[in-house]
Amino acid sequence: MLTTFFTLLVLGLLWGGVYLLMAEGLNLIYGVMKVVNLAHGDFIVLGGLLAFSLFSNYAMTPLVAFPLVALLLFVIGLIVQRGMLERITAAGPEGELRTLLATFGLSYVVSNASFLLWGSQFQSIPFLQGSIQIGPIAVPEGLAASSLIAFGVALLVHAWLTATIMGKSVHATAQSGLGAASAGLNIRKIRALAFALGSAMAGGAGALVITLIPFQTSTGGDLTVQAFTLIALGGLGNYLGAWLAAELLGLTEVFTQYYFGSNAASAVIYVVFIGVLVFRPQGLLGKVGRV
Amino acid sequence: MREGILEWGAFGLLVAVCLGVAAAGSGYLAQTLFTAALFVLLATGWNVISGFTGYVSFGQVSFFGLGAYVAALAMLHLDAPWYGAAVIATLAGIGLALPLGMIMLRLQGIFFALGMFGLARILQIIASSLEITGGPMGTTVAMAASVNRCAFIMVAVAATVVVATYALTRSRLGLRLMAVRDDSIAAEAAGVNAWSTKVIAFCISAGIGATGGALYVWNVGYLDPGSAFNGTIELQTILMVLAGGIGSVWGPVVGGILISILSTALWAHFPMEQQIVLGALTMLIAIVMPGGILSAVNRLGWLRRKPIWGAGVRALAAAEGYAGPAASPGPPPSILPVGAALSCRSLSKRFGGVAAVNGVSLTVKAGELLAIIGPNGAGKSTLFNLLSGFARPSLGEVHFAGREISGLAPHVLARQGLARTFQTSRLFPTLTVWETVLLASSSLHGSRAVATREAARILAEVDLIDQWADLPDTLPPGRQRLLEIARTLALRPRVLLLDESMAGMSAKEIERVQNALKAAMARGCGIVAIEHVLPAIAPIAARVQVLDFGATIAEGPPALVLRDPVVIEAYMGVEIEEAADDVA
Repeated sequence: MLTTFFTLLVLGLLWGGVYLLMAEGLNLIYGVMKVVNLAHGDFIVLGGLLAFSLFSNYAMTPLVAFPLVALLLFVIGLIVQRGMLERITAAGPEGELRTLLATFGLSYVVSNASFLLWGSQFQSIPFLQGSIQIGPIAVPEGLAASSLIAFGVALLVHAWLTATIMGKSVHATAQSGLGAASAGLNIRKIRALAFALGSAMAGGAGALVITLIPFQTSTGGDLTVQAFTLIALGGLGNYLGAWLAAELLGLTEVFTQYYFGSNAASAVIYVVFIGVLVFRPQGLLGKVGRV
Repeated sequence: MREGILEWGAFGLLVAVCLGVAAAGSGYLAQTLFTAALFVLLATGWNVISGFTGYVSFGQVSFFGLGAYVAALAMLHLDAPWYGAAVIATLAGIGLALPLGMIMLRLQGIFFALGMFGLARILQIIASSLEITGGPMGTTVAMAASVNRCAFIMVAVAATVVVATYALTRSRLGLRLMAVRDDSIAAEAAGVNAWSTKVIAFCISAGIGATGGALYVWNVGYLDPGSAFNGTIELQTILMVLAGGIGSVWGPVVGGILISILSTALWAHFPMEQQIVLGALTMLIAIVMPGGILSAVNRLGWLRRKPIWGAGVRALAAAEGYAGPAASPGPPPSILPVGAALSCRSLSKRFGGVAAVNGVSLTVKAGELLAIIGPNGAGKSTLFNLLSGFARPSLGEVHFAGREISGLAPHVLARQGLARTFQTSRLFPTLTVWETVLLASSSLHGSRAVATREAARILAEVDLIDQWADLPDTLPPGRQRLLEIARTLALRPRVLLLDESMAGMSAKEIERVQNALKAAMARGCGIVAIEHVLPAIAPIAARVQVLDFGATIAEGPPALVLRDPVVIEAYMGVEIEEAADDVA
């Protein structure tokens, strides 16, 4: 009984790391652009499917593929921001609205492109199927490895944001674009960097997650909602909050799955989603996000 | 008017041709027409919430799917005919939108957009897991006997809804929707309940979506979760409105027809690539042509929206206004309320550790003008927000017309006659001068005749009548301020809060405002005016109250207060000799 509980606890916390990486990229993009990238989930799926192809064609393990996939998505993100979203010149709510609509169109472009390349069947990478025995608790190797990498990357990005000049510029732009521009920062460059980095994190997360749960091209929309729920729960643009939310959601899902079955587990994210909208739109730690 | 005949003639012809083709055309043609009309309907519904109120929804397909399921169940289990099923479905759509809108339309647009995105997925999960809906395999119902009949009815319904939407944009509600979209805070100040206006729009939009779903299931006779909550429907709907022109009645019609043709062609030749093309097109339009086809047409002067209730504005004004301000109607002096019209006691507002307003008390009597002055950051505008219900005081109370009013919503106070302007003008970019004033007068007067008469009278009084059909950004800054004051006067204010209203005005405009204010005061209106242009306000101010660091530092008649050394110090700082003495 107690062993089961602790096993679930460890599993939930590890899942939290994976969720964090999925959501952190979106948080970064939201922070700087003030817009949720509706294609974020499709980027995650694209990253996973790319890793799948690297694995099946070149026998590249997801650990090796991870940086490659992230780099690819970084480039895609750069192209999307530089070539398209940046051309929306309107400022304020109108600009945000148009960006949102553009990413809505983008999500269909990305998911349909993935569909044309990989078809509609579920894909997965069998990798690190064993488990590590820690005392009485058996931890799946794949989950442990993915989670550690995810935590590491999230931590690195966070450190970069808070400790380097470049990262601080991104942070400053997130807090006030106008202020950052007045201080002589190149907002265009910073936006492109943030969008590309956020996309790279999505791709990287996809490469890890596809070893844990199978992907289909149409999974993207669900992942976008998931990632949005996490950053909304944590308070949009709040990094500590997002981590807390990721852990909570990981635990909730693992426990729900064990006690109520997998159907309930896939519905639980939506219950949390509605709960956030109704009760805490400002997030766990955030300020009130009302009009 | 000639243009009106042209656009309605074209629309009538289009509908007549479509009805003819639907009745007599081949099965294939009729089915194509059905789909196109269905999408025009869905796009019109989406446009009501996202175009008219500016709340973008990514889940309009939820109501389509819900309507389809409810109609299917009504046909199966209640033996309802198609029209009965459609009515039940529409009601179900509204029934879901009402509580949902009440919650989600209080939030920022992004939460609403994503909330609706998630809703479609939640409903899809529910439809796949219930037994009554047939689970993931779906369910079949009795299909319409003839596709021609189906298409005929669909075209008729879509045309009716388009006409009804047009009527909506010409109505009081339409005016409010556009005002809320442009600036919901200014709309509140004009007496509009922004939240309930949005909820009503959402319900209408949901009802339209559900009707479409019901007719769809009657047409195809089969329904499963994947097709009921199909994301491609959402994508096409949004693309149609964007392509045609968001926020305009004709946009969804134009876009609906064009994109239907395109996506039918795509489906026939490139079924696999359909989404990629539609998605890319959505991106392209959002980036390079946000106003759609209609904005290009508008630039040529065609299909422009005409001012609401704008017929004969000049004639009305001539009949109402030129008797001069003294003759304007208002309560005779004998029934003027006595004593304080508005007062507050020990009012404080803290933002974190900063006390923006710190224990301010003030009183303004009916028919008098109290000027508030003070250096930048003295807490003047925050004080106004507390008085007018836009912010809640941390401490203290506000009394208006003998009642404690803290906690009342701004639009409630505005309708009771507590009207205000803003430090930076808040006007509605897409509403004309006439509509801006009409918005306020129509939130007060239930009768259209009274509301238009009042609005015309006020425009004549402040001499904006010649610009009645102009948009605010074409006016010089002084006239924009004037328009904002006109909007407050249309609320028949008992107390007027003016926040630096005369900044940027010419001498002539200042004189006009002074006259309008004197007329309002003669009717018993009390005025509190924050002002930096002292010569503009001093001649008509009974008293001046000076704020600094959130607290009152001086108070009294203008001539005395302006010579008070404390006041001079607050504005100019300590004199240099004194400062030098301090150092020494």
